[in-house]
Amino acid sequence: MRRPLLGLAIVALVAAACAPKSATSAASGSPTAQSCAVDSMNLHTPGTLTIATGNPAYLPWYGGKSVAGSDWKSSSYTGDPHTGQGYESAFAYALAQQMGFTKDQVEWLGIPFGKSFAPGPKDFDFAMQQISITPKRAQAVDFSDGYYDVNQALIADNGSPAIGVTTLAGLKDLKLGAPVGTTSLQVIQDVVQPTVEPAVYPDLDTALKDLKNGQIDGVVVDFPDAFYGYADQIVGQFPPIGGQQEQFGLAFEKGNTLVSCVNQAIAALKSNGTLQQLEDTWLQTDPSVPVFS
Amino acid sequence: MAEPSPEVSFPKGGPGDPRVPPGGGSRRPRILGGDASQRNVWIAVASTVIFFGFLTIVIVRSPGWPEVKQSFFNGQEFKESFPLILRKFVRNIQIFCVAEVMVLAFALFLAVLRSLPGPVFTPLRILSGAYTDLFRGIPTILVIFLLGYGMPALNLQGIPDSDFFWAIFALVLVYSAYVAEVYRAGIQSIHGSQTAAARSLGLSRWQSMRYVILPQAVRRVIPPLLNDFIGLQKDSALVAFLGVTEGFQQATIIQQSDFNFTPFVALALVYIVFTIPQARLVDRMIARDQRRRQAGATL
Repeated sequence: MRRPLLGLAIVALVAAACAPKSATSAASGSPTAQSCAVDSMNLHTPGTLTIATGNPAYLPWYGGKSVAGSDWKSSSYTGDPHTGQGYESAFAYALAQQMGFTKDQVEWLGIPFGKSFAPGPKDFDFAMQQISITPKRAQAVDFSDGYYDVNQALIADNGSPAIGVTTLAGLKDLKLGAPVGTTSLQVIQDVVQPTVEPAVYPDLDTALKDLKNGQIDGVVVDFPDAFYGYADQIVGQFPPIGGQQEQFGLAFEKGNTLVSCVNQAIAALKSNGTLQQLEDTWLQTDPSVPVFS
Repeated sequence: MAEPSPEVSFPKGGPGDPRVPPGGGSRRPRILGGDASQRNVWIAVASTVIFFGFLTIVIVRSPGWPEVKQSFFNGQEFKESFPLILRKFVRNIQIFCVAEVMVLAFALFLAVLRSLPGPVFTPLRILSGAYTDLFRGIPTILVIFLLGYGMPALNLQGIPDSDFFWAIFALVLVYSAYVAEVYRAGIQSIHGSQTAAARSLGLSRWQSMRYVILPQAVRRVIPPLLNDFIGLQKDSALVAFLGVTEGFQQATIIQQSDFNFTPFVALALVYIVFTIPQARLVDRMIARDQRRRQAGATL
């Protein structure tokens, strides 16, 4: 009987080795009691605001030339979050300043999109990646208040059958594409309801490649993205899904008390006109682009 | 036609044959019966229950379990995503069925090229060898990306620009390299005396390959072939990166729009249900093959 006992001893050892890490209970304390001074906020790294976003980071959300030592590479389509240029980068620094951080106290972390909502402790304070707020998503993360009202638009190259279409019905038989997991894709599925299955890409880059290759008739993007020369023409804007205005929010780990401090700062930036000013500076718009009817 | 054993020098099946275990051919491990083995069964059951019990407790009592359960094992999410994923998995089945048939043919061609005897065929052997080296050396995902986005960009007349086509094409290129090696191992495992015998009967080099070597070689490599095909079936998920909405892409769509990982668990389940019976089949074929070889001369 010695052998089985030895085996069980090993099992016990393994189990012990897998014992839970010292529980970092993130959800503690009530938001109202939270003081929003830099020293007392619930931060991943004390004294630093760690913001996660994608890499590459695209214009017009992130711009400027890469700074030395940065993981982000700038090009004619991409930028570096560290520069404070581009809407989200500028918003991040304005937000940090409003919360009492200096520019040097802001750290950026490049993550794949899935990491912004994977369960468990995060290695950043919040994710800022043009994430649209939806009720389903709010089950997995806590969202800040919206910081940008976004619409979706269709872009296409000259010669595509999409050019000149003004109605949703006219889009039904076209092969449209969008990056995976975006509300752009949901717009195709829920608003256009096409007869042809939409093409879904890992990211905007690959979707645009297929557009250039003529494999799809058009790509649906966030409206401000439509002005960056990705395609020849902006065909039109979409009415919002279910008639509800789509908004971008910052994504936090569930129960993170930092949300209330961030919301205070967003409210302040809204009321003093900073957000509007950032929009005017960084995001192009064109009221003459028709809305599909 | 009785299959001649390659090792002709053995007194087959007789007492001098080292392949036949003493005490006769059919020897099976006794599982039941006898006090000692009954006790062993109980020990096996107990240790299994304790082991998995421990594992379950460790997982379920971990501090993050409620979140993991909500994100990965969400019943509602599973119910909604499973039918969608299953429907898109049909696309995977199409992809790997077409790819498998093409791989079978193309890889055999490569293997025969590489096994051609005679100095005249050296360039063909080199080509075939270089091909297998190249495509066994490049990650499948890279081949899929390079072909899928590169070829249509050439804008050449007659080159298809369907993602579906290039996905299959890339998988066939990569898996043919592996399967060609499997075939080649099979061809090489046929003893040289077989060729000699076929040639002495007046068959040409090609005829002896076609009628004597290949039938034996292919039969021998069916289990490893099936193994490679299971690999191919799993890699059919990679074509998602070309914009083909198959099972994995469908799971990713739901995951990113709902911020929930349960669709991946659902897809994993679909794969398991699909591949495990094949793995068992391979095991059984290997066992049958072994029995047949042990039986040796009785054929």
